[in-house]
Amino acid sequence: MDAVHEVLWRSALVSLSATAIALLLGVPLGTWLALSRLRGRRLLATFVNTGMAVPTVVVGLIVALFLWRSGPLGDLELIYTLRGMIVAQVLIATPLIAGITMAGLQALPPELPDQLRALGAGRAQLIVRLWLEARVPLLAAAMAGFGHAISEVGAATIVGGNIHGQTQVMTTSIVEQVGRGEFGEALIYAGVLLALAFAINGLLTSVQQRAASWARS
Amino acid sequence: MGSVLSLSGIRHQRGGRDVLEIDRLDLAAGERLAVLGPNGAGKTTLLRLMAGLEAPTAGIVEIDGVRTVHADATLRRRIGFATQRAGLLSTSVLRNVELPLRWRGMGRSARRSVALAALRRLGVEHLADRPAPALSGGEAQRVSLARSLALEPRLLLLDEPAAGLDADARRSFLDDLAGLLADRSISVVHVSHRSDEALRLADRVAVLVEGAVRQLAEPPRVLREPADATVARLVGYENVVSGRVGSDGRVLLAGRPCGLRSDRPPCEVTVAAWATGVQLGPPGSSSLEATVEQVAAGPGRWEVVLAGDEALRAHLPLSQPPPEVGDRCAVSLDPALATLLAV
Repeated sequence: MDAVHEVLWRSALVSLSATAIALLLGVPLGTWLALSRLRGRRLLATFVNTGMAVPTVVVGLIVALFLWRSGPLGDLELIYTLRGMIVAQVLIATPLIAGITMAGLQALPPELPDQLRALGAGRAQLIVRLWLEARVPLLAAAMAGFGHAISEVGAATIVGGNIHGQTQVMTTSIVEQVGRGEFGEALIYAGVLLALAFAINGLLTSVQQRAASWARS
Repeated sequence: MGSVLSLSGIRHQRGGRDVLEIDRLDLAAGERLAVLGPNGAGKTTLLRLMAGLEAPTAGIVEIDGVRTVHADATLRRRIGFATQRAGLLSTSVLRNVELPLRWRGMGRSARRSVALAALRRLGVEHLADRPAPALSGGEAQRVSLARSLALEPRLLLLDEPAAGLDADARRSFLDDLAGLLADRSISVVHVSHRSDEALRLADRVAVLVEGAVRQLAEPPRVLREPADATVARLVGYENVVSGRVGSDGRVLLAGRPCGLRSDRPPCEVTVAAWATGVQLGPPGSSSLEATVEQVAAGPGRWEVVLAGDEALRAHLPLSQPPPEVGDRCAVSLDPALATLLAV
């Protein structure tokens, strides 16, 4: 079981790190898309929404081309590393988080930002308040980002290379075991992966539903 | 007393269209100004300019002599703002009232006591721990107003705060609002499309039509001498009809004398008459006649719609037997409840 623990730990590390970075990028981007009235906003929103549907294997391919030793970012030596896998997963999760954040903030009463400004909120106070108001969809964005990151296999395989003891994660390991016909082992890994996803999403869902039911009570 | 709020040379456009044009508008300390106008007249836009939420295309808005700048939170903190949607956050009632105080740097215990005092003044202290989304419309508006008043603003901007309430809740809310503002420590701008709401709190009324101030005067004057037919309809005159001053000084409706006189030379005029000033009599008692088209019981009165020489509305006391639909009757106007407007 030590091998499972090691791969599980690596999966959790990569996906949680990627989700955290994607939240740092996606939430401000989604907020800007929801609140800005500048030109180009709609075009960027279309790109973000398209990004939500891009296959992870395509993201993996593009990231690999950039990180490849002869690629434009080859000097960073990120190909076949956990950091490279995190970069790929950030690119996968960010559009999803930004898109859900944008939709969540746009679903708030349209007059709310002006009312908060009229009550004396500065820019930062306004944005924090809007995030708190949209906390249920923002938690959904975090869950979707994490779910996308932990479950993807295409980018992890291409960018990480599924190197045993170094970049192998739960999903790439399952693919490898199925390829070898070791279905029992693959099922164990699948069960553990599901348990990890359930634990983290269960925690976020509990926070989300407490927030939602308090507002309704 | 100096001006708390001053607007000069305001021109505002939206989508390339002129939506506001106001040369000068001042609000003295403690004064209450009602802005009355139909939907789309620019009332809310005017309030947004006053609140510094939007910058005018041209012109100057000053609060206490300081020019407002879009996104200047410091200046906006002198203002309280309550709108027709309460805009409460999905947290407790108490936190809703405390939050703007926190933004002003007030300490925890001080803001708690200020917030509770404000809720008490509005009669909703018992709701302090309730989630704001669970409040009724009337409760939410009271909390919203408490949130604004807790800030002890120099200027309170009210954008139809009673618009979403039913008749009872509206009456009670406006009664309490009038009581709270009775000490005149706060200057108030109250926007409404309902004349009864706008006039009851106001020292002066600005009647806004198509982005321009058509009349700016004390409520009795606007009621007695509306500037034109549009203003007359807005302040509630039920009858605004075309007439003529004859060579003998009698005012004619549909060419027949209606009971009014004028010392103007013969000319076309608009006659504005309150429905309570339309008097009905037996046929032949006046040369202006009409047929009763509808009769309905209203609040404390019979509401009668007349068709004939001139379509008019009359309100008769409930104590009086109502006319029957189809009855023919003579019509005259009470000079005390009617006025002539230049065409």
